[in-house]
Amino acid sequence: MKFTSVLVTVVVGVLLQVALARFTVGGTWVFDLVLVAVVFAGLQWGPTAGMIGGTLGGLLQDLLSGTIAGVSGLAKTLVGFVAGLIGTQFVLTRAHGRSIIVAGCSIVHRVLMLALTGLIEQHWPGTTWGAMLAETIVNTAAGFVLFQLVATVPGLVARQRLGRRAGFGRRQW
Amino acid sequence: MIDRRTLALLVTLCLGQVLLISAQVQSQGGVPLLQVAAFDAFARVQRVTTAITDAVTGVWSGYFGLRGVARENAELRQQLLDMAVELQQQRAISSQVRSLEELLGLKAAVPVETVAARVIAGNITPGTLTVAIDRGTDDGLAPDMAVIGAEGVIGRVINPVASHAATVQLLVDANAAAAIVFERSQTGAIAVGGQSDGTLRAEFVPVLADIEPGELVTTSGQDRVFPPGFPVGTVESISGAGTPNRTIRIRPAADFSHLDVVLVVLTPPPPLPAATEAR
Repeated sequence: MKFTSVLVTVVVGVLLQVALARFTVGGTWVFDLVLVAVVFAGLQWGPTAGMIGGTLGGLLQDLLSGTIAGVSGLAKTLVGFVAGLIGTQFVLTRAHGRSIIVAGCSIVHRVLMLALTGLIEQHWPGTTWGAMLAETIVNTAAGFVLFQLVATVPGLVARQRLGRRAGFGRRQW
Repeated sequence: MIDRRTLALLVTLCLGQVLLISAQVQSQGGVPLLQVAAFDAFARVQRVTTAITDAVTGVWSGYFGLRGVARENAELRQQLLDMAVELQQQRAISSQVRSLEELLGLKAAVPVETVAARVIAGNITPGTLTVAIDRGTDDGLAPDMAVIGAEGVIGRVINPVASHAATVQLLVDANAAAAIVFERSQTGAIAVGGQSDGTLRAEFVPVLADIEPGELVTTSGQDRVFPPGFPVGTVESISGAGTPNRTIRIRPAADFSHLDVVLVVLTPPPPLPAATEAR
């Protein structure tokens, strides 16, 4: 059940990434919704879920983008594991608290990616702090929306159900 | 804190991926079969998501975004008129060139056969500038085919190429390059991507070559990927002029942030003359 949830989360992240990235190709605003999904899986279901989600999401990203398979996978596995570890060590229930973890994970992930690419290509790939900051901001915002939705929607549905039941009761009597 | 099983799984997953990376780095290749299978499967889903997002944006622009359409219409009419005049001028030049070619006994240029493709997905991994298009091996696509747009060169087809989808590496990607020629000075060079400001950097430009900002840059065809004569961009800035460390920045002609329909060049560029090839 947990594996299915992780798989669904990651696949939804990949789908959203490919669908939305079409509108920002070559632009300044880059984002990684797969990373947001991996951090979400880690915080929600623990370190094992985080690293499995990271491996699946990262490898899928590598295979789809035609780059060396394993680079994004390795970076996301480590980030997913760390996110899961933080989730088990600290009580993070509010959306903004969890979004800060997304921000931290975005920076760690980008640095890991740069380091791995640098190791493989034997030169430090060109990147700017501005691009890194922009990616972190967008990822954090996406994470905030996701965590807020997860926190709000179940309560909203429960309240609606309760209201419907109460209405049904009134009609009966 | 963390149980042994979780740690063992982490080590296994990391080690497995390190081995996967090193295997590819050593063999200088990817994992083609797996890549094509994953890409093919996702391309179908991408096509559906593209259809949905296009339908939503279509409804928005068709019903809610009609403000300013009359103004845009007038502008487009003016553009059409200007282009019609330009087309006539180009036709005149073309016929002159053809007659000159006949006079000189030159072989006519090979016409470029293209196939139109729609961009169905953006760059899945931030940092790599690639897009997915809805044409694949079934439409005659193969790696290293040039991709052009209305304004100029877009990039080239790279692996993975599936039956109905392909990956296009954009010219501004860190690993992309194209053989170019500066139109005014006729100096050859290589344009490489990977600049943080979205420009291209000209490499291997002779120190004494006279390059000016605003100069048009086109493909030279020397790379055997891009056919010659297609616009790449214009020279935006030159820093360190007159020194061996001269840096020439080229602003790409194509707008990579709004890619919708592109053309894939199916005809390979003509082979280089024997003398050049032997060298």
